[in-house]
Amino acid sequence: CKLGQSVFLCCLYTFPSLSRLFYRYRDLAPQLVPLSYIDKPDVKLPYELIGSMAELKDNPFRQRIAEVFSEDGEGNMTLDDFLDMFSVLSEMAPRDLKAYYAFKIYDFNNDDYICKSDLEKTVNKLTRNELTLEEVCLVCDKVIDEADQDNDGRLSVEDFQHMIARAPDFLSTFHIRI
Amino acid sequence: MTYHYNEAFENPDYRYSETLEIDRSRERNSSFLQNHHDSSLDDDSLYDSYEGGRGQRNQDYPMASMQPGFRYSHSASRPNTNPYGNPHTNPSFEYEPEFAYTSPSTFHAGDGPYVRRASDMSDGGSFSQSYNRRQADLVYRMPSSLLRLDSNAETYDKDKYKHEEKLIKNLASISSKERVKAIQKTPKTMKEKRDIRNKVLMEKTKKSVSSSTQINCCTQCLYKTALSYQRFKNGMSEYLHLLQLWQKTLKVIGGKFGTSVLSYFVFLKWLLTFNIFSFLVNFSFITIPQLIASGPNNLSFNGLELLTGAGYFKKTVLYYGFYTNSTITKTENNSSYDMQLAYIFTIGIYFIICFFSLVYSMAKSFRKNFINPQTYSGSAAKLLCIWDFNITNEKAVKLKQSNLSTQIKESLSEVTLEVLNLSPKQRIARIAVHLLVWMASLGIAAACCAGVYFFSRNNLQLLEGNKSELENEAATLVLPIVVSLLNLLIPFCFALFGLIEKFQYPRHQLYATVIRNVFLKIAIIGILCYYWLNDVATSEKECWESLVGQDIYRLIVIDFIFCLLASFFGEFVRRIIGTKCCKKLGVPEFDIARNVLDLIYTQTLAWIGIFFAPLMPAMQIISFFIIFYVKKVSLMRNCQPPRKVWRASQMTTLFIFLLFFPSFTGVLSVMAVIIWRRTPSKQCGPFQGLTSIIDAVSGWMHILDSYSSSKWVVWIYYNLIGSVHFFFILTVIVLIITYLYWQIIEGRRIMVRLLHEQIINRSSSSYQPYRRAALQMTASIERPFGRNGRDFYVEPSSARIPEKTSLPPADTEGCQPGISETLALALRARQQAEWEMEDNDDEDFRP
Repeated sequence: CKLGQSVFLCCLYTFPSLSRLFYRYRDLAPQLVPLSYIDKPDVKLPYELIGSMAELKDNPFRQRIAEVFSEDGEGNMTLDDFLDMFSVLSEMAPRDLKAYYAFKIYDFNNDDYICKSDLEKTVNKLTRNELTLEEVCLVCDKVIDEADQDNDGRLSVEDFQHMIARAPDFLSTFHIRI
Repeated sequence: MTYHYNEAFENPDYRYSETLEIDRSRERNSSFLQNHHDSSLDDDSLYDSYEGGRGQRNQDYPMASMQPGFRYSHSASRPNTNPYGNPHTNPSFEYEPEFAYTSPSTFHAGDGPYVRRASDMSDGGSFSQSYNRRQADLVYRMPSSLLRLDSNAETYDKDKYKHEEKLIKNLASISSKERVKAIQKTPKTMKEKRDIRNKVLMEKTKKSVSSSTQINCCTQCLYKTALSYQRFKNGMSEYLHLLQLWQKTLKVIGGKFGTSVLSYFVFLKWLLTFNIFSFLVNFSFITIPQLIASGPNNLSFNGLELLTGAGYFKKTVLYYGFYTNSTITKTENNSSYDMQLAYIFTIGIYFIICFFSLVYSMAKSFRKNFINPQTYSGSAAKLLCIWDFNITNEKAVKLKQSNLSTQIKESLSEVTLEVLNLSPKQRIARIAVHLLVWMASLGIAAACCAGVYFFSRNNLQLLEGNKSELENEAATLVLPIVVSLLNLLIPFCFALFGLIEKFQYPRHQLYATVIRNVFLKIAIIGILCYYWLNDVATSEKECWESLVGQDIYRLIVIDFIFCLLASFFGEFVRRIIGTKCCKKLGVPEFDIARNVLDLIYTQTLAWIGIFFAPLMPAMQIISFFIIFYVKKVSLMRNCQPPRKVWRASQMTTLFIFLLFFPSFTGVLSVMAVIIWRRTPSKQCGPFQGLTSIIDAVSGWMHILDSYSSSKWVVWIYYNLIGSVHFFFILTVIVLIITYLYWQIIEGRRIMVRLLHEQIINRSSSSYQPYRRAALQMTASIERPFGRNGRDFYVEPSSARIPEKTSLPPADTEGCQPGISETLALALRARQQAEWEMEDNDDEDFRP
């Protein structure tokens, strides 16, 4: 057991998937990551490597995902962060956990609210800047208008989760198969 | 106020007894542990509302079953067992004795703990810190803690530390399995989680040493067994997961085509596992005993049998007619095996298992996907939930992005609004067109039925003809070819109707097409069943059951071939035309609805066929296997991801429902007719010589009647299974329960509406916490399995804020009565929620 049981008990995966994930992590940089984690080495893979994974490399939100799940907030991931990320994105994760992290991914400026600028960034990422500025503005206003339950002009975690509860497809789409 | 903390549960005796209960009774145990777990979290009602108040439906926090008096009675009955009862052992609760907030009049004596919880609330803010990645995360949700942060930042850190300690102690007190789950589900980094876990373990060992006198060896042993069993189960499930078929293929398909197309393949895989199960059951309980007893087969084999299923196959274990009605005995050890009973019980039990698993998957899927269907709309959810993280292919990502931008543009241009503003004339014209199309499609379905019935009568006469055997066999293929052709061509015809009709929403068109196709397919199967039961079964032919089996065999084989042809012509040739000749058409899309309906159709046939040909599932397995690969290749080569939004989860629910309702229930009624009403053939099969198949069971009951030891079986048979009265009473009870649940749901709907009104009333006010709490309240009630009522107790402590802030006191005064009303509503809602003690299994249904 290279990872130690503590990891096993703290994330949603069971052991064989964990070792699979570990090898995926190690394959990103075999020269950096040791085979044994018993003496707890302090290894961090830079964002460039994480973002080049097949599962992430074409995802428009890859940088946000890496930032949200990395401890330093810059996308550089330790093994723990890596396991954390895929355990939230697995199908075993409960809806609330997924919703919480989805919220953080869309919250580009880390102010704990999805405000209009965050939404604009999201729309641009979703459509590859194909919409005009006015259209983006309109869409964002519409979204805030619909989802904002407390009328403060931005979406809080509660608003977001309220919305997620109405979107049954969210659970299956916020999911990366590994 | 300190003494309520953790109540009696810190008593190690208690803890171990409950750990042991895990295996004994999951249900009871979970409600017990929830109580527990709650005490670890209740200080942070806001966290509760975050974690538990929304979509959370797992076993850790379903508070709906909690009664206000429950906790209280525990603390009252065991006040002295609590090691933390003494304020000196746990100084973290010493501050703020001034929170003597008395709740509004709606509280009664049993609500004691909530009052105390209210006083604990100010700790909640700092406590919530430990649940977050960044410190500032949740502070905004907790105005009182924000204040605290401002006023005395020094004690803040201390509090945080203490609260982490408290969390750890609480976690230490619950069972290991629940603890692991609780830790896994906190949104924190792995490092923090591990920290907490280590501390919890330390706490646990410390405590178990201190109270080791109370744990005897036996409990410890049992505890260990339970733990290792858990670990074993975890490991096993994971290995089973690894064994799952096509993990990689599914990932590739999901990466390239998104969740919607993936759902077809998942459905196909689910049906395949269903068939593997039924094959195993039939093969082991019916076929193997027969193979032991059967003699050699001396019919010749000429290849055409593979298509027609007749000839050589007549005398094999494939068909009903080959099975013997005798008891198979092994002379050495004198054990015997009654084929009649084996046949009827295997098939019966298989159908019962199918029934329950279908109902289970259907209910689960409904619960997951229709939490709140009436409010699902709008661009907000569309925009923020739409990105499919499954997609990993570069081209697919680009396509998805451009599709999204066109969708957004379309919704902005408000095409739908124009449609709404129709003149009455146009509206009538539209309705007339709809009616016409419906009439036409129903007429076509009826015509198909008539045609199929004509051909099938013809088929029966062909068998009596005097031509050579080979010609006869070839002629039997006419009926299945006609049926498959109709199944292939008429849906295209229905799709053409879509061009004439203009639906307001594309999804209505989808539903209409699906319903028409279902009508067609079910009508065809229905008319075939009528032919089998009415014409073939009464035709005095030798071994009519085998004839029906052959018919079904042919239908399935020909349908399989047509399916392959359809994906060749429908997708491959269509792509050649679309890319080479007529560029306007473009690359075809994968038609999910049509393909899924085809699957449902063949599965229905296979279910009917199980009785007549017990090895039918084996054929299904082979054909599904090939279909999977053919469809996959065709999809990868020829198709592009669908442009329209496909609500995968709701459509999956619909398809499972269709598989259950017309398909499976229809099969059950056909089975009932065969078993109770039809006379089995005289010369072949396990039931030869009986007047009806059920006689086999009643005959067995007569035999059992003579043994005194098995009287109870006979009693059950006559008084429960064979009795009309029992089923009548059962139906009445089920109806009453259904009615009660209906009423509960109605009541809750009213409650939700009232609370929504409250929110709207409040939203003009500037006083945020009340609104937010009410919002959370509504959310938790809307979700039937939430921790209803919990979140609400945020308020008493936050009611203090105006004293410290600059808000005018009049404002708060104005709020109070409204809030107490809301509280009353909340309490009532919670009581209603207590009616439903649901097992909140969070395992997702993955067909």
